[in-house]
Amino acid sequence: MKLRYKLAVYNLFTKGVFVAIFLLLIPWLLERLNVYQTDLELIEQREEIMEAISVFGAEELLFGMQPESSLTFNFLQQEYISLVRADSDSLVNFIEISPQLVDGEIVDYRVLVYSFRVDGITYLLEIGKSLERIYRTEQNIRNITLVMLGLFVVIAFLTDTSMTRLLTQPLAGITQKLKNTKNPGQYDHNPVATTTSDFVYLDQTISDLMHQIEDLFAKEKEITSNISHELLTPVSVVQSRLENLIEEEGLSDKHIEKISDSLRTLHRLKGIINSLLLIARVENKQFLKTDAFWINELIAELLEELGPIAQEKGIKIVAKIENNHYLTAANRSLIFTLFFNILNNAVKFSEPENRGAVEVESQKINNDFVVRITDHGPGMTPEQAGEIFQRFRKRKSSNGHGLGLAIAKRIADFHNIDIRIDTQQGKGSTFWLIFKHFDV
Amino acid sequence: MNVLIVEDEVNLAHEIASFLRKEHFLVEIATTGTEASEKIAVNLYDFVLLDLGLPDYEGLDLLGEARKSGHEAAFIIITARGEVEQKIKGLDLGADDYIAKPFSLHELSARMNAVARRKFGLNSGNVALGEFTLDILARKVWHNNRAVDLTKKQFDLLHYLTINKNKALSRVQLYEHIWGNLLGDEYDSNFIDVHIKNLRKKLAEHAPVDWLETVRGIGYRVIIEQT
Repeated sequence: MKLRYKLAVYNLFTKGVFVAIFLLLIPWLLERLNVYQTDLELIEQREEIMEAISVFGAEELLFGMQPESSLTFNFLQQEYISLVRADSDSLVNFIEISPQLVDGEIVDYRVLVYSFRVDGITYLLEIGKSLERIYRTEQNIRNITLVMLGLFVVIAFLTDTSMTRLLTQPLAGITQKLKNTKNPGQYDHNPVATTTSDFVYLDQTISDLMHQIEDLFAKEKEITSNISHELLTPVSVVQSRLENLIEEEGLSDKHIEKISDSLRTLHRLKGIINSLLLIARVENKQFLKTDAFWINELIAELLEELGPIAQEKGIKIVAKIENNHYLTAANRSLIFTLFFNILNNAVKFSEPENRGAVEVESQKINNDFVVRITDHGPGMTPEQAGEIFQRFRKRKSSNGHGLGLAIAKRIADFHNIDIRIDTQQGKGSTFWLIFKHFDV
Repeated sequence: MNVLIVEDEVNLAHEIASFLRKEHFLVEIATTGTEASEKIAVNLYDFVLLDLGLPDYEGLDLLGEARKSGHEAAFIIITARGEVEQKIKGLDLGADDYIAKPFSLHELSARMNAVARRKFGLNSGNVALGEFTLDILARKVWHNNRAVDLTKKQFDLLHYLTINKNKALSRVQLYEHIWGNLLGDEYDSNFIDVHIKNLRKKLAEHAPVDWLETVRGIGYRVIIEQT
């Protein structure tokens, strides 16, 4: 998941949690606030009434309220005040919520109950305030808050995402540059436009590292190339000497055989040197890509060479070539080597007793031209398959020097051909050669 | 024929010289570019084997000089530099062939034969192999005026053995000639044996192939009676 999507999700989540908590708390808060406010008002009213009593006397006030009722509502029936002579002598002072019947409906009232004694008579004062209006107000506030918070979340999410997008733009630029880089040599060293110092540092560091890696690669290639190159002349001397020696008159069979063995060993050494040089030269792009040819002709030629070898081992090479493909801007001899090494590898690891066939199939898949080479040999573990294209990684029972597939991989890279392996231990391996975006 | 070997590695120069003398060439050696330049100016050679990696001279300059002065020698470039550009440049400047180190002396001799045939019109005839005739130019093997159907590699093998007639060539030498050094992952393979076996089978359908011998411990040999 991209960083800016993660940030957006995180933002949305935290705001959501915040809003949810707020929405859960609001009714409780509002209720507490209202009750508190109402209680204050009730107490204030009580003080006013008590003041009036101290001025006019309780009986006068009591008399003034009668005869209608001891209960006095204001005209919206939002409040009432009642003052009566109490039945008991005990003094009370509390505030409670008590339902009252008003016009046939039960309505919650916040009621202050207060008793006092004036001139030996105990009076009970009740002041009530309807909670109905407060409940409605609460509901309205809740609704408004909900809408406001919803809007807030949406707006905040939109601004946050566009802002993080803007801020992480340079990071996306760096990521894109890395995605476009198949090897360090291709890296785009133009700095990403940004004022964020972290990104400048990151960009600069990656660029420097790419330069370093490129230099190391170049050095490694140079060393391989130089060493191999310097070995060629001495090997040449020894080979010529042995070839002259073996033709001398009067050598015993034993000597001839020993010299012949030495030549064979020397040939092996030459094979390694030349393979390393070939890899270095392909990596350094020292081959021309000026040939154009039909793949099928190349495969036919390959089968002519390897067919008899496979047959000798009791292995059949089955070719199912459905599509032809005209390859341009390629190096034929390198492509031949690529196919040869892979097919030869498949033949080498096939066992005649174990479904001794190697299949070569070509096919058009989407816009790609694909050649599959399948053997029914021992197959490989994923670890082995991952390393098979590295130099000197050979599979058990191979008598080669472990460079054939390394060469194949370099040639494929040089021609932008994808190589993939499907393999399963005990089942065999399939090598895919994918010629990308070719119209077949 | 006269051959000048221009090679700064003295040991290699001597080994090549020793081999070519057995092949009845007259051989001279120059181990520096200056020495070679003088020799080419004074003498007429049929072949110049030119190593490009000379310490005191750009090898290809030597070729240029020789060509400018109208020297007709066949130049075969020997180099440890396998680079394509060098090869193209050399062939552009009028080199006749190109052989990369390390090479087999038999390969060198085959190349010289091919150049001689092309350049001086030598050895261009057909070679009799028992009842067969090897036609070098047409790259065909005939038996009673009928072409024997051989693959490219089978012909190459037979041709190479014929050029090096009466010499035992090892499997390795044959392998190197046929597949060059490009493939090189099969030092111990039976590739050559398989191809020879099939070659023999195809030829034997027409006539005996006793002139193609297996040499125990080494490889194969084509016997041609000296006339």
